[in-house]
Amino acid sequence: MATIRTRSRTREMLLRLSAYLAILVALILTLFPVYWIAANSFKFDIDIFAVPPEWVPRNPTLKHYDEAFVQRPFLRYALNSFLVAIGTTVISVTFGTMAGYALARFSYPWQWRKQISFWILSTRMMPPIVSIIPLYLFFNYFDMLNTKSALVIAYTAFNLPFATWMMKSYFQDLPVELEEAAIVDGDTRWGAFLHVALPLARPGLAATAIFCLIISWNEFLLSLVITLTEQSQTLPIGIAGRVTQYSTYWGEISAAGFMACVPIVIFAFVVQKHLVRGLSLGAVKG
Amino acid sequence: MLQTGKSASVRRRGPLEQWTERHLRYLMLAPTVLILLALTIFPSVYMFYAAVHRISPNPDLPWEFVGIGNFARLISDPQFHVALRNTAVFTIVAVTLEFLLGLGLALLLDRFIRRLSFLKTVLMIPMMLPPIAVAITWKLIYEPQFGVLNEVMFLLGLPVQAWAGDVNLAMFSIIVADVWQWTPFIFLLMLAGLASLPVEPYEAAALDGASSWRQFWDLTLPFLKPVIAIALLLRVMDALRLFDLVFILTGGGPADRTKVLSLYIYQVAYRFADPGYAAAMSLFVLFVTIVLSTWFMKRMRLAE
Repeated sequence: MATIRTRSRTREMLLRLSAYLAILVALILTLFPVYWIAANSFKFDIDIFAVPPEWVPRNPTLKHYDEAFVQRPFLRYALNSFLVAIGTTVISVTFGTMAGYALARFSYPWQWRKQISFWILSTRMMPPIVSIIPLYLFFNYFDMLNTKSALVIAYTAFNLPFATWMMKSYFQDLPVELEEAAIVDGDTRWGAFLHVALPLARPGLAATAIFCLIISWNEFLLSLVITLTEQSQTLPIGIAGRVTQYSTYWGEISAAGFMACVPIVIFAFVVQKHLVRGLSLGAVKG
Repeated sequence: MLQTGKSASVRRRGPLEQWTERHLRYLMLAPTVLILLALTIFPSVYMFYAAVHRISPNPDLPWEFVGIGNFARLISDPQFHVALRNTAVFTIVAVTLEFLLGLGLALLLDRFIRRLSFLKTVLMIPMMLPPIAVAITWKLIYEPQFGVLNEVMFLLGLPVQAWAGDVNLAMFSIIVADVWQWTPFIFLLMLAGLASLPVEPYEAAALDGASSWRQFWDLTLPFLKPVIAIALLLRVMDALRLFDLVFILTGGGPADRTKVLSLYIYQVAYRFADPGYAAAMSLFVLFVTIVLSTWFMKRMRLAE
């Protein structure tokens, strides 16, 4: 017995060591690309093209930030991204929460609940490229191309089903008794939702909102097709526009690309508890 | 289920309030259903309509009805076949790699560093970044002349490559970038799944002297099956619509080696100005996606 234990202990030690090593490698591989774009955003052009590469910027400069955000309209793009993301999130979370609650709590005739749930989920599966042509023709018809409202409408199509499903699973997890008690005490059904269920669901709301924000902030394809003017284009499109066939403005796009990542990463660390829970809840429970 | 509006202590309520209360189950659902109907049913119907027409780039010209002409083109369009094959290769290879790496990493972290949720968040960073920023980052890394990957190759004494610009490595380069961004997603889902495993079966297995390999195979994997199913489903759906990475990294080249379906549809619709044919292709993609996901969800009994 004793020999077995010592042998397994050395084995365990070795295992532990290689596990730490593997995790360390994963961390380096995860972080290096992010570091690299940040590092390059602070280098002069000549240092970006240096061979061998400059691992740490020797002459750090804010030149590219000035180019991107002062001389070029990246601030405008970022503001557009922000407004569109907020608009989409507010609409999706508001209606998604109500629908999610209804699907979690009410009964419907003719198996409606199952059918509607499934249908809502299935709309999320639609690849964006599929709806892009009709949406484009639609916005063109109503003269809405190059507007932020068009983007909000398009993004809502993808975020609303997601919000509905997240909130549905969240409400299903809450005990129904508290709402019942409120109704017995004379509150209306709507009142019970508003005063009892909604406050309890705040972490779920937070998680859902975070995901809607991230998805809208990152979206590329729809924005590429729907917007062509500086007044309406979002940050991802602004960045892509600086990768041209003839030259790529590395410093400038590094600066803008890094700035597009920063709010998301800060955000993620601030809300990491909700993020993990939200993701596992939303995805694991379908 | 709750009874609506029949509580004993209903107090003075106006008729509007009573009506609202009685129909609340429909009122709460209505906005979402209406919005989604407008944003999905309308485009789908419109797309069917577009798919059977030849649409001129000139908006003043009427659409010309061509019946199944656009669909017939799919069968004989070699570019479409290439796009189909590229999408299949990308989806299979990328999702497999992401799954293996994500699961492995989750098992390691779950077993050896349980408490460090900070580490978890760090490892999750790639999946939250805008795909466009990811694409730019990897473009910079792959750059043949001054890119850092070739520097590493050089330091290791390996031959430098053109990566995203090389006919044989372009798809591989796209896959690596995608794996970098999305392995964290699988990792996170697996971690959540592992955290919810029951303890008792493992205690019993340990008493029986089952090896950790056996425990993984007989207990962990079966328990994780629903989570694995969801994770794979979501990743496959996303892989089928890959766009941003190819758009920036290769533009579909070199020699169409990375031309995937969404990129080809985009090119047909906007560069070759042929939305009718693009709509037919979109319908094809939609059809494949629906068949795949419905089959998968039915099989896994996910939509309940």
